[in-house]
Amino acid sequence: MAFAPAALALSPAGAIRAATQGIRLDLTWVDYLMLLIYFGVVIGIGFIARKRVKSSMDFFLSGRSMPAWITGLAFVSANLGATEILGMAANGAQIGMATLHYYLIGAVPAMVFLGLVMMPFYYASKVRSVPEFMLRRFGKAPHLVNSLAFAVSNVLIAGINLFAMAIVIEAMLGWSQWLAILVSAAFVLVYITLGGLSSAIYNEVMQFFVIIAGLVPLTIVGLNRVHGWSGLVDALNKTESAELLHTWVGTGFGDESNPIGANWLAIVLGLGFVLSFGYWTTNFTEVQRAFSAKNMSAARRTPLIGAFPKLLIPFIVVIPGLIGAATIGNLLADPDSGVTYNEVIPKLMQMYLPTGVLGIAVTGLMASFMAGMAANVSSFNTVFTWDIWQRYIKKDMPDEHYLKVGRWVTVVGVLIGVGTAFIAAGAQNIMTYMQTLFSFFNAPLFGVFILGLLWKRMSSAGALWAYIAGIIAPTVVFIAYQVSVANGDPIFATATSETLYGAMISFGTVLVVGVVISLLTKAKPVGELKGLVYGVGKIDVTQDHVAGDTKWYRSPALLGTVALAGCVALYLPFL
Amino acid sequence: MSEKNLTSEQEALVKSTRRFDLRRILGALFVVYGLIVGITGFVTVGSTDELERTGGIAINLWTGGAMLVVGILFFVWDRLSPVPAEDIVKSDEQVEAERAEGEAKVD
Repeated sequence: MAFAPAALALSPAGAIRAATQGIRLDLTWVDYLMLLIYFGVVIGIGFIARKRVKSSMDFFLSGRSMPAWITGLAFVSANLGATEILGMAANGAQIGMATLHYYLIGAVPAMVFLGLVMMPFYYASKVRSVPEFMLRRFGKAPHLVNSLAFAVSNVLIAGINLFAMAIVIEAMLGWSQWLAILVSAAFVLVYITLGGLSSAIYNEVMQFFVIIAGLVPLTIVGLNRVHGWSGLVDALNKTESAELLHTWVGTGFGDESNPIGANWLAIVLGLGFVLSFGYWTTNFTEVQRAFSAKNMSAARRTPLIGAFPKLLIPFIVVIPGLIGAATIGNLLADPDSGVTYNEVIPKLMQMYLPTGVLGIAVTGLMASFMAGMAANVSSFNTVFTWDIWQRYIKKDMPDEHYLKVGRWVTVVGVLIGVGTAFIAAGAQNIMTYMQTLFSFFNAPLFGVFILGLLWKRMSSAGALWAYIAGIIAPTVVFIAYQVSVANGDPIFATATSETLYGAMISFGTVLVVGVVISLLTKAKPVGELKGLVYGVGKIDVTQDHVAGDTKWYRSPALLGTVALAGCVALYLPFL
Repeated sequence: MSEKNLTSEQEALVKSTRRFDLRRILGALFVVYGLIVGITGFVTVGSTDELERTGGIAINLWTGGAMLVVGILFFVWDRLSPVPAEDIVKSDEQVEAERAEGEAKVD
């Protein structure tokens, strides 16, 4: 990022503390006790969940029995891994309130779309995974490509996140990286192997509440230390970082002076439409939580219930980032200070939280590290077992076989993740590139699905080639950008703006290739498309209603409308 | 289906499922954390370290108290609206159907 907010020493004590090296935390036995209790409860939940695992459906989709409030919180929590929290706080310190775009345009509208429009197709067709929807709509070839892409990327992402976690834990607690990797991987391994998705979901909900219990006091103390919100605004206004308080200023065409370096159209289409709809509606790690809901009504409400905490999370993540920019901006911007933007939350914890609350905050961070990895592992084992093993390797076995395979695949997945983490430790650049590359997988998938849902003429070959072309196109753009950066003449203002344009190019490629190839090839007979294409057959979303589902405040349309209104309202103070 | 029509086996199932309701686990965790943080705050009340860090807020007392309240609210919620017995029994009866679904062939 091109600018560096100047630091303000708000009090002598703060200035002295900020100067202490790194982000090492001063934990006492009280803090460790809370961490220990948490680990104990996690394993306990594993054993409780295990008692209810009687079939592969129980293991992979919690027997489709979860109430909406649990799946809704797990839906948002599966995305609230520690890398997300630390990354978004870093954005808060670097680009300020513009980070709200990731929540208000980059998440909530897509969650509403999933609940209102796409979930009826997913849940009514009784598919057990997102790739299986690909199979039902388009057949085997695109299904195989999609399943492999998902399985491989997910297990590697788990490893990359594991490594990211090890760095932070080493800096905060002084554990060596390999100890941090092995301990967290072992806990994830145990509780997922025992209880499958139910374990993952229960722990996600628990992690959600604990991380909030840690971040709310941090935000309150932080705001107190900068003399409230008005004090924070004054502090930022006095430096050249007043732009941190705005979201849409400097996003006009030809005036792309905002820190993202993209105009409003690229933000709305690239981030708001392609990237976020791709992530939230087709990433099985997320959607799986909704599939485990007990009926159609609960499945549709899953992302809608998740949208409400998603609206409020920026206030306990982005605002600490801003506080960091105001108080220790110099430190964060200085590459030799030993504190990076990603460490702004741990640094504020070190400066502001006393023993006691500190233990809650550390536990919350550790919990979200593990929950993030568990979310990847629990969706990986499902896709591998049902979409690859059962479909292409060992068909027609009794259900016990697939349950057993699921458990073993979990073990293998965690081991590959650990291996990836150790490789990542030796080759960090390659890992960063891979992470970016994997983020290209969702956008084209969304393009293929939306075409396939709206257009019954879309053929299997059209889907396959559109999907592949939609992965290749942004890869080429990405490489071109990296080359142009190396040559000192970047073709996009920032790496973030590159991903926005890359996503739009990917989506456009999918539309063109998908339409052209479909027109040249034979479509599936309409009789096989019932309930898979808009307007072909009818989906009755009220068929499996239970008592209470018809209450007015459980109406998906109402929840969705209120969530969208919330997005607009939360932008208003920060235009 | 009212709870009176359950067999004793089903009643035991309902009881054991409700015993480990997630809300009870969350409630217990928050009550324990609330007590630990609250007591820490109580013991160290007025300590310069805490007040210097927080700029004068007794954050441990506040956080501990809030977590205690949240924990109790989880228990109250669980008490006021337990998982319906029919949901528990139904999902138990579904095991055979689920096994079939796990073996599903879609092509």
